[in-house]
Amino acid sequence: MEAMEEEIRQILAQQGRLPVDIADLDNDADLYEAGMTSHASVSVMLALEDTFDFEFPESMLRKSTFESVTAIRAALTSLVGAPAE
Amino acid sequence: MDEILGGVRVGTDLVPVDQVAESVAQFGDRYVGRIYTEHEVSCCRGTPSVVAAGLAARFAAKEATVKVLRPVGHQPDWRSIEVRRDPAGWCSLSLSGEAARMADEQGISDLAVSLTHEGGMAAAVVVAICGGDGR
Repeated sequence: MEAMEEEIRQILAQQGRLPVDIADLDNDADLYEAGMTSHASVSVMLALEDTFDFEFPESMLRKSTFESVTAIRAALTSLVGAPAE
Repeated sequence: MDEILGGVRVGTDLVPVDQVAESVAQFGDRYVGRIYTEHEVSCCRGTPSVVAAGLAARFAAKEATVKVLRPVGHQPDWRSIEVRRDPAGWCSLSLSGEAARMADEQGISDLAVSLTHEGGMAAAVVVAICGGDGR
């Protein structure tokens, strides 16, 4: 697993308040359907900003930005660059 | 037929107060400033648990409002949905920016909100009156 994906999964495990183990969800699984609330997604957003040292622009504050590991990774890649392999 | 029908939408949300307290403790002003307006923060004063309960009820009101606005894709800024507290104690909603535009587009002519918190949970109910097609 690449470093960025591992960081995203750690943040989801700490802040996502998912009723299931994040390790049991694949990268495309819908996190809201898995039980992540809107309030938890705010904590996920702030923890991502802390970890990757950036701020989400207002234009990206949409539900779809945080709906899956794949979606979060795509947003981060567009904001902070491609992850190191 | 281009019949225009009015209608009512209802949104509700429930927020655990301890989760808001933890977000305040962990992210501080950055959390508060991204979600709540100055007026909302000024209405939530007291011990940390009282502050968290007030903020949690307001977050529930914002999410309940999003449910009646039914955004497709883009979410309105949390701060564009504001809970206003009247000096007499009752609350109302004030929309601005993207949230106001969404309400206008959907013919929402009036909004009402009720907040409550008890037993570690905060809740809000929002009722929207649609003067348009009432989707």
